[in-house]
Amino acid sequence: MANFRRFRPDDLNKFSKCNLDPLTETYELSFYMQYYAKWPSLFQVAEDQDGNIIGYIMGKLESSPAYYKFSEHYLPWHAHITAVTVAPEARRLGIGKLLTEQLEAAGDAAEAWFVDLYVRKTNHKAIAFYKSMGYSVFRVVEAYYGDHSTDPTQVSEDAYDMRKPLKRDVKREHIRDDGENHKVLPTDVW
Amino acid sequence: MSSYSYGAPALKSSVDLQLQTAWSDSKWALVVRLAAKQFATSKDPYYEAIKICAESQLDSVREKWALFVALDDLVKSKGTPDLDIIELYEWACHEFLGGEIKFAETFGPLRARWVKSNAKSPKATECLQDCLEHWDLVNSQQIATRLDKAYANAVDRRYRFWYIVLTHLLSISPQCSDGERNIYKTLALKTLQRAADFTENAEEELKQTDRLLLLEEEVCLFYRVLLAHGTKEDYLSRLQSPKLGAIGQLKKGNKLLFYEALDTLETWGEWDQIYKLCAEALRLGLKGETKLFFVCDMRIWKKFVGAATKATDSETALSELQTILKQFIGLKDQATPMYKKNISLALLETTFRLPVTALNPTHENHRGTPRVVQLALFLDQYFEKYATFDDIKGYVAELSFEEAKHLIQDVLPLIPGEVSAENPNDLTHKANQIVIKAMELKLRYLLTTCPQTLSPLPSVIDGKAQDKPFQCLFCSNPASLPCETCLKKIVVDASSTYAQLNDKKLLDLVPTIISLVDRDPRLDLALVMGTALLKLAGLRPQIPNFAQSLWQDVKADTILQAVLILDTQLKITNHNGLRLLLVQLYLLFGCASYAHELWRPMDVKRTIQDSLSPLFFDRISSISPGLFLGTRPLLEPLGSYFHNSLRADCPMKIWDAFSFSSYTSILDMAEFDNKLRTSCTVIMALVEERRARRCFGGELAFAVDDYPITGTFSLPQLICNLLTLLIFTADIMETTTLITKTDYGSFPNLESAHGPAIQEYLRIGPGLSNERSHLAFLTEQYKDLLLYKPPKDYQPPKDNPAKAHAVAKLDRTYTDEVLRRIRNSLQDWLHKPDIATHLTPAENTFYTVVSLLVPLVTMSTNPSRARPNVSPSLNLLTTSIKSTLGTMKAGLLSASNPLGQDNLVQRTISVLADMPTFANVRDTALAAKYSTAWVAAFNDRENELDKTGQWGLLRVVIAEIMALESAAIKTLVEAKGHISQLKAALDESGWLDGMIDVVLGKEDTPEDELDELTKAVSDVVGGRAGAEEWASRMVESWREGVKGWGMVRME
Repeated sequence: MANFRRFRPDDLNKFSKCNLDPLTETYELSFYMQYYAKWPSLFQVAEDQDGNIIGYIMGKLESSPAYYKFSEHYLPWHAHITAVTVAPEARRLGIGKLLTEQLEAAGDAAEAWFVDLYVRKTNHKAIAFYKSMGYSVFRVVEAYYGDHSTDPTQVSEDAYDMRKPLKRDVKREHIRDDGENHKVLPTDVW
Repeated sequence: MSSYSYGAPALKSSVDLQLQTAWSDSKWALVVRLAAKQFATSKDPYYEAIKICAESQLDSVREKWALFVALDDLVKSKGTPDLDIIELYEWACHEFLGGEIKFAETFGPLRARWVKSNAKSPKATECLQDCLEHWDLVNSQQIATRLDKAYANAVDRRYRFWYIVLTHLLSISPQCSDGERNIYKTLALKTLQRAADFTENAEEELKQTDRLLLLEEEVCLFYRVLLAHGTKEDYLSRLQSPKLGAIGQLKKGNKLLFYEALDTLETWGEWDQIYKLCAEALRLGLKGETKLFFVCDMRIWKKFVGAATKATDSETALSELQTILKQFIGLKDQATPMYKKNISLALLETTFRLPVTALNPTHENHRGTPRVVQLALFLDQYFEKYATFDDIKGYVAELSFEEAKHLIQDVLPLIPGEVSAENPNDLTHKANQIVIKAMELKLRYLLTTCPQTLSPLPSVIDGKAQDKPFQCLFCSNPASLPCETCLKKIVVDASSTYAQLNDKKLLDLVPTIISLVDRDPRLDLALVMGTALLKLAGLRPQIPNFAQSLWQDVKADTILQAVLILDTQLKITNHNGLRLLLVQLYLLFGCASYAHELWRPMDVKRTIQDSLSPLFFDRISSISPGLFLGTRPLLEPLGSYFHNSLRADCPMKIWDAFSFSSYTSILDMAEFDNKLRTSCTVIMALVEERRARRCFGGELAFAVDDYPITGTFSLPQLICNLLTLLIFTADIMETTTLITKTDYGSFPNLESAHGPAIQEYLRIGPGLSNERSHLAFLTEQYKDLLLYKPPKDYQPPKDNPAKAHAVAKLDRTYTDEVLRRIRNSLQDWLHKPDIATHLTPAENTFYTVVSLLVPLVTMSTNPSRARPNVSPSLNLLTTSIKSTLGTMKAGLLSASNPLGQDNLVQRTISVLADMPTFANVRDTALAAKYSTAWVAAFNDRENELDKTGQWGLLRVVIAEIMALESAAIKTLVEAKGHISQLKAALDESGWLDGMIDVVLGKEDTPEDELDELTKAVSDVVGGRAGAEEWASRMVESWREGVKGWGMVRME
């Protein structure tokens, strides 16, 4: 069973079910606190009956700096998914989907144009998950990751910048059908 | 030249280029000269400030003091200070802040004074930020008040809420007096109440410029302040408000207030209110006013059901609850799997909380009750899910014996269904059967922990006294809790199922099962076997002395069987819960290096260390100090984490929360920061590191409660040796409550709520606690005092007797004061009625002896107390300490002497598992030795100074002290011999076979002569061959541990 609610700092002491999993990164305290300080409604958790955290999502609201406005890579006001994780024991119950929907709702409430995220091009499971939720590839960021998750001979890996339009984007101006063909460099990504 | 982590501030643009260049190039002597010249011509105090700051960068003490004097003058002056000068001084004073210079008494008031005259300046917000970053709430609040007034009609509404939130923070802070706190409480509360009233009564839509409650964060801040300072009646009444009440906020999509309010109402026992709120909230979803499943969290359902049963009109409430639940059940198909499951659990919860009369009015069927039916339906839907056991175990533990038996024996086997005639070899069906079997065994184990499965037996039957108080209703055998016969059957059944899966025909099933349930069923089977064996071994929470119980009332061979099974399983399935269990078990047996090997892959790092590192590092220096001799300092990551997280005075990222108007975040972050600074883990890290360093004669640069302020140590140095933590322990007082936050959430726990959780069985002693942390901290302070050596460049004033006397007097006064404080605190803690529940017996003895040593030392620092009347008390103390030392020594060193015993392996294992007690014997003897040495040295020093012959301990007192020292030294010599004997015992041949013999029986034992448990274990681990690597790892780990102990100083 799960309860969904906003993150509280004390939850950091109940993170073991998620963060002992090797697929989940543990950050410095300042990283979690920054998100909780700035975007508390975009930091949501799922907890089990004993208060253990079995899933969480961290996101932010931002746009590119104003001086970037005339660049083709300018990002308007949008929500960004920084991290989402579900404990192994709580998978296959749609917790990741519910957490993502809550972040999208917070993005809508903040009048963001879209939600975006980065995912490794080889992470087919995650890509399929996001596509099932209405996300599509907006562009490919070449050599975004400094290592390769499946091929140790590679020194880098491309990322998909995936997006889902929010309510504000009525005309669907911030997504594209052929995102896989739009390649950019990490330096183009703000 | 001092080095600063902060760059020098830029000078004003009006300053000439030559001075600017000298300043940016840090040419301080030149800056002093140029600034003095400019000041002479212009009389602008800014140049004088530049000169003073540049001088302070030179190495002369006099110039540094000039800076302090200038700052003091500025603080005392009445006018508005120049902000540029404040910034210059603050930079120059940076390294002294928190030490010689208190921000709240200097720069805080200066910045507040500047803002008073310049509230509209953009720099005013920077002043607020600066005060907040030094956690100077008094001046922050004053600045916020000015900003609020200055921007009363502005669009930016943050100033109003900064003022409110800071006023509230002050009202709960120790930074002001009680009287002031009351004023701030009223101010925060009244301001928000007024804003809430205006918001409620506003007829038009509210605008951004309205200083009312618009945003969720503002509304939640209001309720937090109301809860802290308002009345319950007001809170309850406001909660009903259409705009600002919990339901009104839910309609806006804001869930936070609803959740916080339910928790508050629960603490007040306001069941009618909880019931009403939950019903309304759930109906909002049904009516489409919120998303359908917006509040369908399990905790809401639980609160709803709980409140309905306790509501004034519970009959109506329960009926209404069932109506709402039925509506959601009807809409379940629209829900995600998680909410579907929550609704199913809500049905289960309702069934279990409804009165029995409502469920089964005729009482006809005691077995197939609605509770069993609902559990069966739930299991039918979710039996293959990973978390199902945890979901239902609480409910199963509530079943009557008849119900439980029916569920397990009749219902569970039906769940996989019949195999279809067309596909008799259906792999999925077989996989389901295995999964159900594993579930059955887990539930059977759970029920052994439930009292309703036992019925009391008369103490005498047919004239025979019964040694078991109960009869097990499952197996009908006499039993105690838990029933051993049932536990044995569970182990044997689990082993048999496990063996089936290891069979070649069925091994192919495992991937199919894993694809269904995300989990290898062998893991569940191994966990059931492991925990059942631990119980069969007689392991129970907090055994007073685990090692002495081994082979006597606790069966070490059975515990080792559990360890072997779990270890074997870990090689097949990498599961963190299993790994954590094993880490605890290996620490219990003293195999610290092997436990560390298992611990490392979990990569416990950064933020999760505070809650998880006690699982490995608590008491580690007493188990295996040798671990600290590795190439990387053992506790460096933990020290680094606390250093990074606590180096600022304020809660981390607090200004971000102010900037982004996250008011509830501000309050939570402040509370979290306070808990982090008073974490038992900080004390644990500090104490373990210091104890280990002392073991190997390492230098301790600071006293445990010192506050290093000079900043002459490089950061890596500080991080490496953990001394950085001392900074953060400077404010820990006896009254500070130290917080425990150890996270046991990942432990696989098959126990019911009727008994302790599994970790309680596995720890070496009681977990971290406020009490133990304080005792450890005080003892470290005591050792610091005894082992203090003056700096090498300190020269005692030998040629000036008057000065020497004055220094000695000061020393005595200081020592007396510190000892009195330590003695009083130790006695306070040790006299707490439940103190024994927080310590192992050996720790209790150690701290008690220290509490006796402190007055012994105190007596010798005061001549009047060292006179004849004192000797009887002294004799009492020394006799008591000597006797305790003797008892400890006899208990540890003699009784478990591993040499010359028949059962070498068994004897040695007992001793190896008892190293924490050994460490306490050593610590106790060392504390006695340090104390007596200190008294002797003090007496010599005083005798040398005092030519009148007035000073001097009586010969009889000296004799007492010397006798105690001899006893301590003798204990230490024997301790050293104990380690040598242990090493020799471990060097004996035949350890590997000996270990396997202990666990799986002698090699030549015919299989049919093995007891059923040993056979069950042997089948799972693959016989003796399968146990060889495990046994050799354990033995190797013990050898490493003893090698480390061999290097520990015993003097």
